[in-house]
Amino acid sequence: MSAMIDEAIERQEEKQQKKIDFKMVTFSLAGRDYGIDIMKVDGISKIDKYTYVPNTYPFVKGVYNLRGDIISIIDMGKMFHIQQPAQAAKDDSKLENILIIKSCDLKIGVIVDSVDKVLGISRESMQDPPSLFGDINIKYISGVTEVDDRLYIILDTDKIFSEEEEKKAYQTESDEIDEHDSIETMDSQEESASPGINFIIETLNTFSRFHVSPVNRKWVEHRYDQWVEISQKRGQEPQLVDEADANEFLQTFFSRETHQLWSDEYREKMESILPAKMDGPLDVWNPGCGKGFESYSLACLLKRKYPENRIKVWANDSNLLEISMATNIVLQKAQIPAWINNGGFIQDGSGGKVFTKAVKDALYFEFHDIKHKNMVPNMNLIVARDLLSYLEPEGQKKVLDEFHGKLKSNGILVLGENESIEHPGFRAIEAEALSAYVKE
Amino acid sequence: MKTKADFPNINDRQPEGLKDDGNPFRVLIIDDSMFVTKQINQILTSEGFEIVGSANNGESGVEKYKELYPNIDLVTMDITMPKMDGVECLEKIIEFDKDAKVIMISALGKQDLVKKSLLIGAKNYIVKPLDRNKVLERVVTTLKKQ
Amino acid sequence: MRVEYINPFVEAAFSILKEVLGDDLSRGELYLKATSQPILGVTAIVGLAGDVEGRVLIDLTEKTAMKIASAMNGEEMTTLNELAKATITELANMITAQAVTKLSELGFTFDLTPPTIITGEKMEITNYEVEALIVPIETSHGKLEINVALRERN
Repeated sequence: MSAMIDEAIERQEEKQQKKIDFKMVTFSLAGRDYGIDIMKVDGISKIDKYTYVPNTYPFVKGVYNLRGDIISIIDMGKMFHIQQPAQAAKDDSKLENILIIKSCDLKIGVIVDSVDKVLGISRESMQDPPSLFGDINIKYISGVTEVDDRLYIILDTDKIFSEEEEKKAYQTESDEIDEHDSIETMDSQEESASPGINFIIETLNTFSRFHVSPVNRKWVEHRYDQWVEISQKRGQEPQLVDEADANEFLQTFFSRETHQLWSDEYREKMESILPAKMDGPLDVWNPGCGKGFESYSLACLLKRKYPENRIKVWANDSNLLEISMATNIVLQKAQIPAWINNGGFIQDGSGGKVFTKAVKDALYFEFHDIKHKNMVPNMNLIVARDLLSYLEPEGQKKVLDEFHGKLKSNGILVLGENESIEHPGFRAIEAEALSAYVKE
Repeated sequence: MKTKADFPNINDRQPEGLKDDGNPFRVLIIDDSMFVTKQINQILTSEGFEIVGSANNGESGVEKYKELYPNIDLVTMDITMPKMDGVECLEKIIEFDKDAKVIMISALGKQDLVKKSLLIGAKNYIVKPLDRNKVLERVVTTLKKQ
Repeated sequence: MRVEYINPFVEAAFSILKEVLGDDLSRGELYLKATSQPILGVTAIVGLAGDVEGRVLIDLTEKTAMKIASAMNGEEMTTLNELAKATITELANMITAQAVTKLSELGFTFDLTPPTIITGEKMEITNYEVEALIVPIETSHGKLEINVALRERN
């Protein structure tokens, strides 16, 4: 199957070499190559001294008189928090390379390391930016393209400058409000109490699609304090500059025993929140099940605890690759905790150990996006660890209401251990290492 | 898809669709798909067969067969059809003429019905998608089985 | 969509299209859509009933439909006439039937209902929101999407 996909990609790549319908001026900045639509570039200039303007944004270096037009000179590196490699202090007399950009009725000079050339490409060859672009906020990138083994990041100047303008406008506005309405600013002050954490909130979303919200806010704040310390020790700013940083920040977020079969210890913890006896068939929903370790663990746990009941675990994930692996999982002996191995849930298969038919029959794996309509029956238990944090706030609310609707009365909801909710229909259960709720 | 260009020149040999006496075999096509009907028609007429009728549901299929009898040599029969399906239609035709030569045309996934049809008295079956060689081979074998 | 159902549909679509078009095909990335509403203009539908119910749609533009029908019939078609429609319907039938065969080998049973076709001007499928799996396939005659929406009868 994947060979087919590869083939398809290759063929697409071949096609892309045809017509040139997009020309861009390329330049380099901090060791990376960028491109800007040639239609947005008014000219290229080398300038020596510009006039410093006080009380403006740190990224505005000053103004310059360009053949009678006064233009702002902007340091794009600063604007996007791109870390410039350490370099010798600039010689004042050295000329700066400036790209003059026309955008949103503005003319702006952008300082770049060097202007490279004009490059013609086909729009088709432009790809969406991968989500792991370290420096520049992804929304300012209209695409990326590769030419002669060099990767060019194509910037959307309209977005960059319109947004900066908006920010300025908004700030002036809120300054005015400041004088008239002190209540509103109280709120907004509280929100922006720690500008560092707000920056992190945005980058977590960009790099890891992690949404900071009341569900995980407590953990994020606590983690941020740790992060500041860690960064200080390393002599760095407490910023998340790339995906690796974001992942490191989130490392301690995930519930224990996430990508593995549950240990005996964790099984006990999970069992402690379940009633001693349950009536009738048991339905369990396990959205965001990934490769299915959690779902198999649940199925075994429930079969062990309630041997008389019919068990069905409805497991789903929107990651096709992972969920495809879940149905035919093959394990090595070392991966299998004793309680599962000795519980009669495992048999020999080709290439390793596999779950017995009885366990597999209790599982129903679906390629499914939880934001779409959920066609599951009413549930006794919902295990959705570390799922809400990856949904947008509206999605979180919708899914949470749906959990509530789908749970039978006294049904139990398990969230990630660093997630918590305030919902009128749920009461928290005291449990070690688990964030669990019962439907009231 | 095979097109007319693929049709062999039939002048240098006896076309498969002709009997020893030089008259064509007469075929009735019962199928609700215009596409399949046309496909079978094209393949068979190019080999000299004569399409003496067609029907797009089981009910009119039975009627057509009775109307044409005994001047009919072969029936191709779709399985899924409105009004009366191919299996029931086959039953009615065999009831009327136990020697009727019926070939079932089936999409994959209907093995059970194909088996059932063979038990009822269908002489052969072809699984879609159809192509010229497959159709001719099955039709010719069926006609030769006396 | 149950994981086990996915591959049979992908493979069936691929092998039937390859067989009837004799074409180089390429497949786009599979994805999920919130509703099973078709979008391209010409849609052939095959219903599935049994333990699992739902439907399989083949969704393509009128232009692509005519080109594919022309290729399958070995003659140039310039309008989406009855024969062209019957051809696309048959295509849907064959793909679904083959997928169902593969599924029955795995122990899942379905029944097919006869296919129907809907074209642009009539395109109003009352649509209860059922998530659909989309399998985009690029042929030399244009793109078509296999749109599969299935659910277990609870």
